[in-house]
Amino acid sequence: MSPRIRVALLALAGLILLPCAATVIAGLPPFGATIAQYGERINAITPEARHVANMVSAINFDLRGLDTLGEEFMLLAAITGTVVLLRGRRGEGNTEHAMRRPGRAVIPRSEAVVLACRIAGPLTALFGLYVVVHATVTPGGGFQGGVILASATLLIYLGEGYAGWRDAIHSHWLDAMEGGGALLFALCGLAPMLTGAAFMQNVLPLGTFRDLFSGGLMLVENLGVALAVTGGFTQLFLEFMEETRAADEPDEPGEESA
Amino acid sequence: MTAFPAALLPLPVALPLVVCAALLATAHLLPGRLPDILATLAALGVAILCGTIALHAADGPLVYWFGGWEPRDGVHLGIGFSVDEASGWVAAFIGLLYALTFVFAWGFFDRTHGHFQILMLLFLAAMIGFCFTRDMFNLFVWFEVMSVAAFALTAYHLAESALAGAINFTVVNSLAGFLMLGGIGLIYAQTGTLDFEGIAAAVARGGRDPVVAGAFCLVAAALMIKGAIVPFQFWLADAHAVAPSPVSVIFSGSMVSLGLFGLAKVSAVVFGASGQVQHALPVLLIGLGGVTALLGGWMALLQRHLKRMLAFSTISHAGIMLTGIGALSAGGTGGMLVYVVGHGLVKGALFMIAGILLATQASIDEIALRGLGRGIWPAGIAMGLAGLLLCGLPLGVLDQGTRLVQGALAQQGHGIALAAGTIGAALTGAAVLRAAGRIFLGLGPDPGDEAGAPSEDEREKANRPLWLMLGPCCVLLALDIGLPADLIGHALPRAASAFLHRPAVEALAEGPAWLPWASLIAALAGAGYGLFRKTLPALVVRPVSVTQSAPTRALEVLHSGLIGDYAAWLAVGVALIAAVLAMV
Amino acid sequence: MTMLPYAVAAWLFGIGLYGIATSRNFIHLVGCLGICQSATYVLLLGLGYRWGSIAPIFYDHPPGTPAVDPVMQALVLTDIVVGATLTALLLVLTIQAYKRGGSLDPEKLRPMRAGGGSRRNQASSRADDGAGKTS
Repeated sequence: MSPRIRVALLALAGLILLPCAATVIAGLPPFGATIAQYGERINAITPEARHVANMVSAINFDLRGLDTLGEEFMLLAAITGTVVLLRGRRGEGNTEHAMRRPGRAVIPRSEAVVLACRIAGPLTALFGLYVVVHATVTPGGGFQGGVILASATLLIYLGEGYAGWRDAIHSHWLDAMEGGGALLFALCGLAPMLTGAAFMQNVLPLGTFRDLFSGGLMLVENLGVALAVTGGFTQLFLEFMEETRAADEPDEPGEESA
Repeated sequence: MTAFPAALLPLPVALPLVVCAALLATAHLLPGRLPDILATLAALGVAILCGTIALHAADGPLVYWFGGWEPRDGVHLGIGFSVDEASGWVAAFIGLLYALTFVFAWGFFDRTHGHFQILMLLFLAAMIGFCFTRDMFNLFVWFEVMSVAAFALTAYHLAESALAGAINFTVVNSLAGFLMLGGIGLIYAQTGTLDFEGIAAAVARGGRDPVVAGAFCLVAAALMIKGAIVPFQFWLADAHAVAPSPVSVIFSGSMVSLGLFGLAKVSAVVFGASGQVQHALPVLLIGLGGVTALLGGWMALLQRHLKRMLAFSTISHAGIMLTGIGALSAGGTGGMLVYVVGHGLVKGALFMIAGILLATQASIDEIALRGLGRGIWPAGIAMGLAGLLLCGLPLGVLDQGTRLVQGALAQQGHGIALAAGTIGAALTGAAVLRAAGRIFLGLGPDPGDEAGAPSEDEREKANRPLWLMLGPCCVLLALDIGLPADLIGHALPRAASAFLHRPAVEALAEGPAWLPWASLIAALAGAGYGLFRKTLPALVVRPVSVTQSAPTRALEVLHSGLIGDYAAWLAVGVALIAAVLAMV
Repeated sequence: MTMLPYAVAAWLFGIGLYGIATSRNFIHLVGCLGICQSATYVLLLGLGYRWGSIAPIFYDHPPGTPAVDPVMQALVLTDIVVGATLTALLLVLTIQAYKRGGSLDPEKLRPMRAGGGSRRNQASSRADDGAGKTS
């Protein structure tokens, strides 16, 4: 199909969809007028029922915790898929050491960069931890904090160079973190069932409202998510970085990876 | 506190998730075969759990509220699972299909440290969650987990065609996800809840509402993309043809039909009270289903790449399933549910045979393989049987589903859809039988130079014993033939009514008994024509060649493999659904 | 003004789809897919918004203060994760496709076709050939 016919087809579809979309938009409640009963209700009862201040975390880790479990494993699927697809080409063998791209000069880093990274790295990690543990009180949570923690490891790369980064990061540990975190989250769901409660029912003491220790089981789940996200995103960085070092001409066809 | 049978509901989802997280955490410590064993056991466990749940759900749907958040004052606060008998059995079938696929794939993915098993177990958990959930957004989450696991598995071979297929699959199905999320946003804004029952009640109160229709349009388009319905079907052939065989078994056997299963559930349960949607459904589903059945069958007949042929056959059968839903009766939907299981069993077996050919003969091209299958004749018998079952041999689960769908269509006077379904099934059967005859009996003209397949060299891991690969395939076929028809026929009226949330019906009509035979004879004739064309008199061959060449060329051009074209067709499809909804 | 966010969402999806349909570069295509996804962010957050409300975090404000819909915010959080996973996977596929085919142009990378493999010279005669002989 030539690009022109394609655009014509799109335009035709757009012409039909335009009045339909207009009718739907006109039928929606006006912007900013009201919110749904479900959200209203959650805002009303959750602070008291779960002693948490952050409603979004309460939804993610308690009321609709199953969604987050699915989301967590979606991330795991994507990262496992990335690893399989990128390594399928490079082979499994050389994952432990930094690969060298022949002919590429290693440019020494300036001391200022090294110093800045050595200061900023731990600070970023600390901030990530802060975001993780305060999920129930302030905006934050395992996902956000986990991503910050993972980016802190990138500062090692910036400061210490690629080889230094690879010495600090081990792919197996990352797998263990990722799988272990996801396992922890899943077990947080199953464990309450042993006491006769429902899956992921919040059976732990709820703690004090507006305090770090509030929300009971949410804190543990949150830790699991943070662990998995940190491991997962670092693994992602690692695999993509390794890709920049891979030899241009592959010596093994993809079939052999089967 | 939840009582015994309902307390089982989270386990079929949690079990594969726990196993796959544990596998990942210990990936590098595990000895070689352990991931295979664990994954097979986990899938079997899921099948047994789902079967138990289905048995207990016979008296009425089981409901489970996660986190103990039961509805308060009519507001649904948490996420619920609600399992009726039919959903339970479909989930049990999926678990079993996975277990057999793991056996089939034994040792296939040696070098990936269990990553294949991890992705497959995630895929399994997502499918079970998709079957069980009663929450719109949760449905979306499992839909996406299913997609993400599938995207990665498709590209596993890393050949150029595998990558192109995977990219098309990813882009089209991601767009499906966005459409679905948009639809969920609209319905949430209008009804203030995400629970199926809550939405249904609010929709019933609301009367005719363009927002509800718009939400249905988006959600239905998303599920039809998953279900590979024309004009959304393009991605399927690209992806199924290139995925590793064990993955194709799952794709064709359960993922595609699960999209339609979701469509049946959503349109009956969530939008059951919307007059606009219910009036539009027969036109939309029966029309699109009929076209899909014909197009898929015709394209299947044109292929010489076996897996691509089977992929188009899946499209054709998806169309037949859609016509079943479109009958909007307990018979049609019940027939469709039986059809999902029967089709999954037969199509899974066929993809396993394609995998056996790839492993033992290192080719998947029908012409190149001519006569090469003689050494593995048991596979030939299985393929012939599967081909016959596919086009309507009156035996087994698939046939029972076909008859019920046909009965429902005949009852409501949808003669054209009935004919389209029969012809589609006959065409795909003809394609499979032709390939079986050529590969295993050496029939048809000697290809000569043409034998060199124009496709890339393909080969799948060869050092697996034949019986290990053929065993699961035979189990699938035996299940299709051996499952007692009386038992299904007895339970189905009740199960289908519960699935549709309607009062129970007494018995379901079956289609005319001669139809499967007509389809079978047409398929044999088609296969015979394909194989012995050179020896037939010109009087027969000429008119057929003339009439088929122009539409064939047009179809080939349409299936261009370009993602830009697919995006344009996607927009056309959504516009089509919107137009039908607007006109009723 | 009351309809603007929804119209923006529809526009974003449409323009993203146009980009995907006409894209000649996979990385551009991944960006366009991201734009389609932003449509869902705008729609969901727009639907959950209420004038004069605070964010649904009752730390500085006592519980009971009117807040926007927290459900939509939670849904968008999940949606963002979906976006991240899709982008990562698509970029991986793009890298591998580039290494295999040496091009980032979707028009040049072809999946398996009826007549045979993924050759770049997509000759209609060949497709025709295969069809004529096998049917």
